[in-house]
Parts: sequence; C-alpha cells; structure tokens
Amino acid sequence: MRKLLVGLLWPLAAVYSQDNLSLNPVTVLEKSRAPEFTYDEAPTLDRGLRQTRKLPLVSFLNGGYGFRAKLGRPAPTSGFAAGVEYNAGNYTTGQVLFRTSARASTGRYLHADAEVAFPRLAGEKIFANVTAVHRNFPQLRYYGPGAGSRAEGITNFRLEDTRAEATAGVRPLRIVRLGATASYLKINTGPGTSSRYFSIKRIYAPQQATGLDRQTDYAAPGVFAEIDYTDHVGSPRSGGIYYARLTNYVDQQHGAYSFRGLDIDLRQFLPLFHEQRVFALRAHGTFTDTPRGNLVPFYMQPTLGGPETMRAYPAFRFYGNNSMYFNAEYRWKLSTGIEMALFTDAGKVFPNRRQIDLRGLQFCYGAGLRLNYRQGTFMRLDGGCGREGCQVWLRFHENY
Amino acid sequence: MATLSRKLLALAACTTSLFASEALVPVGKIQPQKMSEFGDMMSNTFGSPGERQTAKEPIPSRGVLPNGEVPDSPWYVNRHASTPMSIDELKRGPGDTNPPAATGTWTIVSAKTEGVTPGFVIEDAKGDKYVIKFDPPRHPELASGADVVASKFFHALGYHVPENYVVHFDPSRLAIKKDGIKGLTKKKLKAALDRVRKEKDGSYRALASLYVKGEPVGPFFFHGVRADDPNDKILHEHRRELRGLYLFSAWLNHTDSKSGNTLDVVVEGTGVRHVRHYLIDFGATLGSATHEAKSPRQGHENLIDMKPALVQFFTLGLHVPKWARTELSDSPAVGAFEAEAFDPAHWKPNYPNPAFENRLPDDLKWAARKIATFTDDQIRAIVSTGQYSDPAAADWIVRTLIGRRDKIVRAYGDAVQASTRKE
Repeated sequence: MRKLLVGLLWPLAAVYSQDNLSLNPVTVLEKSRAPEFTYDEAPTLDRGLRQTRKLPLVSFLNGGYGFRAKLGRPAPTSGFAAGVEYNAGNYTTGQVLFRTSARASTGRYLHADAEVAFPRLAGEKIFANVTAVHRNFPQLRYYGPGAGSRAEGITNFRLEDTRAEATAGVRPLRIVRLGATASYLKINTGPGTSSRYFSIKRIYAPQQATGLDRQTDYAAPGVFAEIDYTDHVGSPRSGGIYYARLTNYVDQQHGAYSFRGLDIDLRQFLPLFHEQRVFALRAHGTFTDTPRGNLVPFYMQPTLGGPETMRAYPAFRFYGNNSMYFNAEYRWKLSTGIEMALFTDAGKVFPNRRQIDLRGLQFCYGAGLRLNYRQGTFMRLDGGCGREGCQVWLRFHENY
Repeated sequence: MATLSRKLLALAACTTSLFASEALVPVGKIQPQKMSEFGDMMSNTFGSPGERQTAKEPIPSRGVLPNGEVPDSPWYVNRHASTPMSIDELKRGPGDTNPPAATGTWTIVSAKTEGVTPGFVIEDAKGDKYVIKFDPPRHPELASGADVVASKFFHALGYHVPENYVVHFDPSRLAIKKDGIKGLTKKKLKAALDRVRKEKDGSYRALASLYVKGEPVGPFFFHGVRADDPNDKILHEHRRELRGLYLFSAWLNHTDSKSGNTLDVVVEGTGVRHVRHYLIDFGATLGSATHEAKSPRQGHENLIDMKPALVQFFTLGLHVPKWARTELSDSPAVGAFEAEAFDPAHWKPNYPNPAFENRLPDDLKWAARKIATFTDDQIRAIVSTGQYSDPAAADWIVRTLIGRRDKIVRAYGDAVQASTRKE
C-alpha cells in the first residue's frame, strides 16, 4: 500500500518538489559547495527518485523558459490537449516577454497563439502587448437561444477565428491599470463534426441562432480599467480584483451585427486564520447593446456553463445577449499544497439589459479539491450539481 | 524548580572534564556522497530508513558518557552548556573575523539568477569564497537575520556551523569572473538584482556565508554510517547529538532540518585528517522559509501529514488548529514565529528523519539542559547579530525564543522557569 502511494505521488511530487524544495536557488547554491558527488549508500528508492527528477519529461513538464509542454484544454469540450510552448525574454531583463504556443486536442481542436509583451516600460508605469490567437474548434456546443433552451436541444458547430489585438496602458498606481485595446477579429463558422450531436443547422434556423447563415469580421476598439490589490497572482488569499472593459464591435461586412459589450468582473477574497481559510466571492456580468437594426450573432454572445461559470452545467449550456453569474467559495487547507472548497454558483442569461435582476437565476452547489504549488493552483477537481444533474471538472488553474 | 535547574547546571559544569574525545583515526580517501533532496523527503515520509526502535524495545543513544553527556567529537563540541560563554563569545559564534572584504571587487564565480531570490558565490579581494543570499522581496531581513542568528545558537549549542555575516554592499563591487559564467551577463545580473530589495542608499543587504575550510564530501544522513570513515562508528539515528538536535531545531523552528542542510568536510586542522560534520543553511529557521515567510503550519505539521489533513477534510475546516488562531508578528522581518502554539513534544520538521524519530526522553532532557543555559540577556545578544532595523522585530524574536525556551524547560528540564533566571 505504501509503495502504491509512493508510486501515485511520485510524478506529482517530482514536479511539485522542483518548486518547493529543490529549485530554491539558495539551496542549490548552498549545495554547490560540494563537488559533483558520487553516490554510495542509500535506499533503492532514493536512487530511483533521484533519477526520476533528471528525466527530461519531468523537466519538460515543469516549465520555465525555453520550450515546455503546454497542457490543458483550449475549450471545455475539446478533450485532452497537448502541445508546445516557447517562452523567452522576461527572464533576462524583465522588459520584454515573448511567448508562443500551439496545441491540439483529442477532439481535433486547434489553438495557436503568440504574444509580445512589454510589461515594465517607464519604470513599470506603462505596459503594452500585442497578441495573435488562432482557434479552430470543430465541435462547440449550442443548445439554442436564451435561458429557456433545453439540454436535449444540443447541437454542435465549428468556430474558426483569428484575433489580432494590441493593448497599451498606464499603471498610475501599483494596483491600478488603465488601458485601451484595438483588435481585429476574423470569424468563420460551419457545420460541427461531432458524430454524437446534430450539426447546428439541422436544428436551428438563423432566426434562432442569429448570424448562422452569414459570418462577419470585426474591428473592436475598447478601453478597460482594473484595480488589483490581491496578495498573490496565481491563487489569491486576500484582497480584490475589480475589472471593467467596454468594447465596440464594429461589423466590417454586413453592417448588421455591430454591438457594444461591457464586461464587469468583481472578485473579493476574505481570509481567515492566517489565510488557512478563504471566502472567495465573484460577480461577473457581460452586457451588450446594439445600434438600431443590429443583432448580436450567437457565436459572439456570452455563455454560461462550464468550469469557470456554472459548474453544474456543461460548457456553453446557455447563450444570451447578456449574462451574469455569481460564485461563492469557501476554501480551506487540508495540508501543505492541498485545499478543499465548497461552492455555490448562480447565474442567468437574458436578452435585454433592462432585465438585470436576481429573478430566474439558476443555482448549483458543489465541492472541489485543489493541489497548489507556490505560484498558484496546479490542479483543480470540482464537482457541481444543479437542476440538470451533475458535472465533474478537472482543470489546471484556479477558478478565480 | 529553580533549585533543580541550578542542580542541573552544576551537574553539567562538573562533567566538563569528561568530555574528552576518543582519539581520531586518520582517514584515507573519502568518497564524496550525494543525495537527492526529493528522494530524501519521499523515503523519510513514506519509508522508515535506519534502525528504528519500538515502544517495547527502545534503543538508548549510543556513544554517550556515563553522565549522559556527549563527548567532544567531529560531530559535536561541548560549549556554552559546559563552560558558559561570554556575551561576546556567543555573538562571535564560529567566528567574526572573516567577513567579505569591505573594499575591492567581489568576483562572482557562480550564480543562480532564477527563482524568487537570486544567489551568488563570490570570491573577495582576500581570495575567500562566500555564498551570498538575499532576502525575499516582501520580507527584508527575514532570511538573512534568521540565518545569522540560528548559526550563532547552533554553534553555542555545540555544532559545527559556517561563519555567517549580514553584509551591506554596493552592487558596483560585483563583477563576473574573467572567463565568464555560462548564462550570466551583466544585463542578467542587473535584472536579478532588480528583483531584490534595494536599501535607500542604493546598497543591498544580504547574507554572506563563508565557505567551510576543508574538502567537502557531501551531506551526512540521519541514519547509517559513512562506510569509508573509520571514526563514524555509531549509527547516526542513535547519536544523542542528532536525536537531541530535534529539540534544538524545535526551539529555533528549524523546520528544514534535513540531510540536505548538512555537509561533511575532510579537515586536517587537528593534525589528524578526519571528517567533520557541519550543519549548514539556516535560512529556514525562526519565522523564515528562506524564499518567503514560513506558513504558520510549519513546525506543527509535516509537509505531507495525513492525520491533520483527514481532520480538516472531515470537519470541513471547522476545526481550527491552535497554530492558525495564534497571533503573529506584523513585522515582515519576523515571519511566522511564535511561542503560544508551540508544543515542544509535538513540534514537526518539514519531514521526519530517523534520528529525530528515535528520540527518547533522555535525549530530550539532555537537549533541554543545554537550552536552559541561555539567559534572556544572552538570547537578546545573539538575536542582535541578525541586525534587524526594526526594534520591534528583534524584540518579538527574543520574546518568542524565551517563551519557547521556557516551554521546553517546563516539558523536559524537570524544572525551571527559565525566564526567572538572570545572568
């Protein structure tokens, strides 16, 4: 039993320990007093573990600068995804960061991106970055419009888009970021490739799934503001993040699908007992409005459902012109690096901004397990239950 | 209680003459020894290396003098508890005459620029080598202070330790060695220093740890013996000075007390070539975890500790351990270091080791007697070597050490309200 436990924990601990024990530069230096030693007497286990840590795979998975494995689903419905990421820049000067990655999933989803960032210009008062993202998701779910859509109405469609975006901003205070964005978005949708579900056009008409019959491209200027006074980037224990972004999506082809989108995200972390317990609260809203005669196409609508929003519902379960959801989590540490959570999510989609209220919210409840390391959450396992049943999610980052 | 304590001290004093060490046998070629830190943690967490005793069959410490004391040896030297050291001697520790040269260039001969804090090995104008370590950015003075203070205590308690210094230096004195260091450029060096807290005058505070003299041959294990060292005859897990180290580590909150923080060195200083055993790297003592402040959990639970984890799981976190309710210092230089929740009988390092697990009451009483010899003033003097700029931080550490000492004495010293003792 003990050997089994060691076997199960071994790979995880190998990665974990790189951050927590062995890669501590001071420790490495301290040990560098000794020459390259040979090994004499120690248990077989010791020798084995020593070799494990030297395996290129463990080093590759553990990341850092240069090439590393890029794991994690590009979309909740994509299946397992893997690829390669290349990081450079920030390590040397802290002024320039370059990152690019590409990954493919078992569901044949493709995701590639590249980013050049200047996070610390003018003594960290100014920041700028340019990103490009290409996605080809052949089996995204669509259940029909609005809160009244039924789970049985599931279909799938292909979303293929490419977004180029430039961002620049100022940081007048250490915790405040103000900025503007300019992006261009090229979109194509098509029939889904899933053999389990109907393709979207077989069930829904363009009157229900707006924009189904013709896609468009967008130019999208925007502005944003953020206040972030959390204590820890990867997995905050105290403080808050308040974010708002206003984007004007201008239809470049038909003049029929322009809209303005307002995203608001408020997070608050309330620690207890030396941060061994944390109440994590979140309120998120995405609101749109359109010029006269325009509509928001379904593939640009906010969605609810999935591991980041409503955990009892499958991803993309609800589409609507507007959405709002609330998460409340009670997190408590079991041990070093292991944390549990009880949570409740509530949210809804609605067609008109004037319908902002708390009526008609869908609720779900659940529990989660998190494995943390120094920089944040290494793995998150959440299970949520609601009106339509239960969902289990395995993710490799914190929810919020 | 005070009477009994005085008796203990008197007993310790009269046994000084019995500390004579056994004659050392000259050693030949010592094979350098290497260990895996991860493997050490896993084997000690999930396995039971070394010879373990049972409740029914305890194994008393070996190599102990009839009076229960430990003889002077390459492992241990009777110091403060046998012959009280003066305040100056306590502050001096293993030495205070070899800090890095105050003038001239510090040549970086190897470096680690990644991670939370960078670190360098430098060679000063005298040709001496030092490990230079910086404090965590959010906790100035935390690790450097703890490293220096703990090294003085461990030296006074009888262990071999390196000379550690708090240094302040101008970054312009740093230079990369002439033939270069792979991956280190001036730009990278500057970027690494940019991540470290700079003093108002542009200098940096750091810890400088003098390279131990002699030929390093790797760490020692807390079990077994070194096969090629004829003087290493007692299984380490049965050495009183290693079993008793548990209580010293508990007092100073040395949660990272493990093989990886030890070093064997072949020396010839006494005329006989032999292996001397050092404790090194005290960055994870007091409230410091080297690269950050300690979690208040540390010292109360192992890194992997099933029982408290299960309690938390089944109570949904509604059971709040005492350590999570205890007041901690607000000073970033202190970290999580307190006496209120401290329980010397149940203190835990990051992971167990065979010598600590084999500790018996006699081992702990031996250690408690040593700890009891430190007066309040002596503790205050040693803490002052940490050069804390905030008097409240130094005061908190002093009060905590006194509180923890008193708890230890009450638990094992048969006695004494140590806080009532004056120099």
